[in-house]
Amino acid sequence: MPFAFAAAVLAAIIGVLGAAATQPEVAFPIFIGVVVFAAVLTGVAVAASELFRQYRQVAAGTQTKLDDITAAERRLRNVVDSADVGLGLADLEGNLTQVSDRLAVIFGRGHDELLKVSITDLFAGEERAMVSKGLARLRDGQLTRWATELSAVGLYMVRLPADPQLLVQATDIAARRRAETLSDCLASVREIIVASAGVDQALPQVLRQMCEHLGWSAGQYWSVDSETRTMRVRHSWNAADALLDGFLFASRGMAVTEGNGLVGRVWQAGILAVEGDLTRATGYEPLRAAQIAELRSALAFPIVQGSEVTGVIELVSRETQTPEVEEVTVLATAGVEIGQFIRRAGIADALRRSEADHRAIFERSPVGIARISDDGELVEANASLLHLLEHDADSMKGTAWPDLMRAYDQAALRQHKAPFLAGISDGGSLQVRAATGGGTWLWLQLTATSIPDSYGAPEHVLVMVEDVTALRETSERLTEALQAQRDANANLEKFDQTKSEFLSIVSHEFRTALTGIQGFSELIRDGGLEPDEVRAYGGYIFNDADRVNRLIGDMLDLDRMESGRMTMRTADVDINDIVMEAISRAAPSATTVEFKSDLDPRLPIVAGDRDRLIQVLSNLVNNAVKYSPEGGTVTLASRVDGRFALVSISDTGIGIPQDEIGHVFERFRRVRSGAAQAIPGTGLGLTIVKQIVEMHGGKIWVESAVGHGSSFHFTIPLAPESAQALQTSNG
Amino acid sequence: MADDFAVLVADDNEVAQRLCKRVLEKAGYPVLIAADGLQAVDIALNQRPAMILMDVAMPGIDGLEAMRRIKAEVPSMPIVIASAHSMSSDRDRFLAAGADDVLSKPFRLADLIAVVAGFAKAKAS
Repeated sequence: MPFAFAAAVLAAIIGVLGAAATQPEVAFPIFIGVVVFAAVLTGVAVAASELFRQYRQVAAGTQTKLDDITAAERRLRNVVDSADVGLGLADLEGNLTQVSDRLAVIFGRGHDELLKVSITDLFAGEERAMVSKGLARLRDGQLTRWATELSAVGLYMVRLPADPQLLVQATDIAARRRAETLSDCLASVREIIVASAGVDQALPQVLRQMCEHLGWSAGQYWSVDSETRTMRVRHSWNAADALLDGFLFASRGMAVTEGNGLVGRVWQAGILAVEGDLTRATGYEPLRAAQIAELRSALAFPIVQGSEVTGVIELVSRETQTPEVEEVTVLATAGVEIGQFIRRAGIADALRRSEADHRAIFERSPVGIARISDDGELVEANASLLHLLEHDADSMKGTAWPDLMRAYDQAALRQHKAPFLAGISDGGSLQVRAATGGGTWLWLQLTATSIPDSYGAPEHVLVMVEDVTALRETSERLTEALQAQRDANANLEKFDQTKSEFLSIVSHEFRTALTGIQGFSELIRDGGLEPDEVRAYGGYIFNDADRVNRLIGDMLDLDRMESGRMTMRTADVDINDIVMEAISRAAPSATTVEFKSDLDPRLPIVAGDRDRLIQVLSNLVNNAVKYSPEGGTVTLASRVDGRFALVSISDTGIGIPQDEIGHVFERFRRVRSGAAQAIPGTGLGLTIVKQIVEMHGGKIWVESAVGHGSSFHFTIPLAPESAQALQTSNG
Repeated sequence: MADDFAVLVADDNEVAQRLCKRVLEKAGYPVLIAADGLQAVDIALNQRPAMILMDVAMPGIDGLEAMRRIKAEVPSMPIVIASAHSMSSDRDRFLAAGADDVLSKPFRLADLIAVVAGFAKAKAS
């Protein structure tokens, strides 16, 4: 009786509304509330429909009206049947008496079939017991309404107020359940991704969550090896099952190429694919292992980075699984998110490795490295720098580094370079002298490199500090050696030049002497000369021959002295005695000058070679005579000068030009003034004198001014016992 | 003919002066003596000898400088450099400096006479 059904539904709904209004504390999901609201609407519609139907039966006479009512009723019936909520009436035992089409659909039974069963028959096991219990309490009047959520159905029963009937309302919550599961699955995956340190840690957990949430038996992650262009299993998960282990093991041995098998196809196409029945599949690998593992279905979806498929996650199940569109969407989303995660993890890993590398370089570098803030403060110094400068981190920061910076700036100033903070970006290096904490002075080479922040502004500075002390010392020694070599070369060159000059001078001297010897002897040989002439010419010949002889003697003497082959016959010598002898030797031929002597009578004995000392004095006296004009005076003086006997020979002669004084003891350096040139000499005399004095351990020097004469002074060490005696008497 | 062909001997070495004077006078040439470069220039320009026998290593100005000064005034005056600097490079150096001939010391007396006679003959002809 449709009218009664509609009325009952209407009454039930009014009751429900009343209950809902007066008892808001009744816990009921909002979802159900919405459904109830929909039910109210449909209930009203159904009631109206029944009213119109009754009216049609009562007033059948009015066909047009009846037709209208019929049409309206059909529409309303359609509304009830197409509502999302399944509606029905049952007696207090739970036997359904009226059902909407939707209710039949929700329970998966035919409309008529449903009318033959009790509500309890629609459930099994625990759920059946729950429903029975709820039914009993409604029947007993303990409750007027009862609601529960079962695995696939939300069930709501109301005992109608005026009628021993139950309004049965059922909602299909399987879809919601599935949506919740999918949402949970995605949330779990995201949680893992966020919390994981790396891909290797995350992916097994991701696979597990997907399998557990979505009801798959095992999962494996295939990743693309870009070099071989194949995919291999990198991670897998299964619920501890030996048969599945076998399948996963077989998969691990595979290298999938693009487009082949389920995984290869997903790789190629970039979209999710399903193998619905593995018992009959052909394009699946490893098929045999899958069948042995009793797998029925497989699903694979791509892991995407940007537009590129970098991996595939494959899920397998022993059930026949046909994923709905929501699941496909969720898995596609997961694929993108996992791809992004892998990419980020890769970047993070590379960064971490790079950071670790740089850290290791900083810490282990044999070069000292300091990290400096952009205002010059030491932020960090590595172990090598602390070791090099012999400081700990604190003293390095407090004193050593600021000192080094000052040294840098001073060195920069000297080299006209920018100070440290102004010149940090030039990357050039500077060598600085600095003391270590242990007081060792080092040469340090400082090389500064500015490290920019992400906007390009200098953020901090790295300063490399190297100990270049050894390098510099080596370089300095090399420079010295090079200079010494250059000097030696220059000396050699000078020596070579001196030798050529020497030869030229010697040959000139010899040829000049030989001119007289040869010419006059030729005259004598040719005869026809007066006896006086022969005598005179013989004298010239003799003099020049003697001169040549002396020249040769001097040269040989000098050579012996300079090569160290001259031996001295040392004995006690009275210097005053020698001075007097030199005067007496020179006086007979030096008639134009006057000799004076100023000798210290207490001059002690010296140790020397008498003959050589006479040679020295004779030479100096002869020189003094030669360069003195007529009426000049030659003065000889002796006195004690410390532990030496000092002898001076002074003349009133022409003197030595200033620029020649430094050269008078060099061989053949005869003064080239007018008078000097006319005075004969070998040009070796003073050189020999100097050699003899120095062989005795004395010194010789000259004071002179042109036109005012010259004074030659030389010293000879006193004999040790004389010096001692002198010391005692003075003391 | 040789009587009016006066030779100036410029040499700071007395032995060489005497030798040249003795040999050339014996050969009939009047001899003037200069003991250094300045004297040589002075005598050459004032007494105009027929030729000069010039030593190089002399006090004051050397023989080459004296020759330069004399030649600057009297380019035609024959000057023979007589030097104990007698390497071949020296000979070239003297000729390049303007010497009419070079006589190396020590010399044979005949060579000395021949050099002077050569210039005397050239002047006569």
